[in-house]
Amino acid sequence: MLLSTLIIVLREILEAALVISLLLVFTRLRGIDARWVLYGLGAGMVGAVIYASQIARVSEMFEYTGQEITNASMQVAIFISLAILTVLICRPAPHRTRLVSILMALVVALAVAREGFEILLYLSGLMTKPELVTPLLLGTILGTGIGCSIGALFYYGLLNFSPRSGQTIALLLLALFGGNMLSQAAQMLIQADLLPAGATLWDSSRILPEDSLAGQLFYALIGYEATPTLMQLTAYLGGLGLLLALALPGIAIQRRQALQPE
Amino acid sequence: MRCFPLSPLHTLLLAASIAVVPQVLAAPPLVKIEIRDHLFYPSNVKIPANTKVKLVVINRDPTAEEFESYELNREKIIPGGATSVIFIGPLPPGEYPFFGEFFPRTAQGKVIAE
Repeated sequence: MLLSTLIIVLREILEAALVISLLLVFTRLRGIDARWVLYGLGAGMVGAVIYASQIARVSEMFEYTGQEITNASMQVAIFISLAILTVLICRPAPHRTRLVSILMALVVALAVAREGFEILLYLSGLMTKPELVTPLLLGTILGTGIGCSIGALFYYGLLNFSPRSGQTIALLLLALFGGNMLSQAAQMLIQADLLPAGATLWDSSRILPEDSLAGQLFYALIGYEATPTLMQLTAYLGGLGLLLALALPGIAIQRRQALQPE
Repeated sequence: MRCFPLSPLHTLLLAASIAVVPQVLAAPPLVKIEIRDHLFYPSNVKIPANTKVKLVVINRDPTAEEFESYELNREKIIPGGATSVIFIGPLPPGEYPFFGEFFPRTAQGKVIAE
């Protein structure tokens, strides 16, 4: 029970930990006040409790596809926030730091709420058995710890590069994360029969199974799917391409300024 | 003077309803699965191949379960005591395992498309 709890919690936390560490890198490079993380985490936890407590009602909405529509909306909202953030972050001088902080808090809140509610539902079902409380709590703490450690590893790893390379890599990872969000949203809408399913494009489950540790990491990191559909791939590449395109003008200005003699 | 009697919203709604009509006419077949004591009944779910199917999952347990399948690309929480719907397919003939992520040791099954 301890191990399966650890894996479930880690799986859910990885994605949020990754996006938080990326946003923190930008905060650090830009010298923005990092308090938004706390607001985001707080709001996300409250959101997770509300979502978990209302899950039966939400599930029945829209002819039993309320969950998919809610999740897809949250993923699209994360993507839109990331798109605006990408534009603002790439501007040369500190720009609209208040809006940047609010959007970063929003991304964190949505990511934490979406992943947290699953952990809460999982735990609430099992906590009723007294003999399971200890392994459940221990698994949750260990899973959270490992997830946060991986996030920290990313954060310090990226800050180890020169500021410019660090920013470029973080932007690329953020764009991949955004593509992943849109791909997941597309998958949710396919599941709700609001988008056509279409055939699977390939099956790489033998090379890299989705349920393996590496598969899970790649899923959180770049949205890896062993059996994607054309709709998912289109959403993924579209999201990735859009975020990269939004980053380019700002980066070009930064480059030009860096080349100019002081 | 307005040349076009429909507002953009109306045009959109009209287009959407036209797009939806064929789907309504060919309602996907319905297949029921129940969750009881963290087990799926039936655990082998037979569905027609190359056809979209509406899985109706009824959770008789008081605890939530997550229907999950890597092969089907599906993932959905089924709240305790609730009914939910998951659309799958069209699938080529074959077997597609699924499991309940919250109780993975017992809650196992597979969709057989034939």
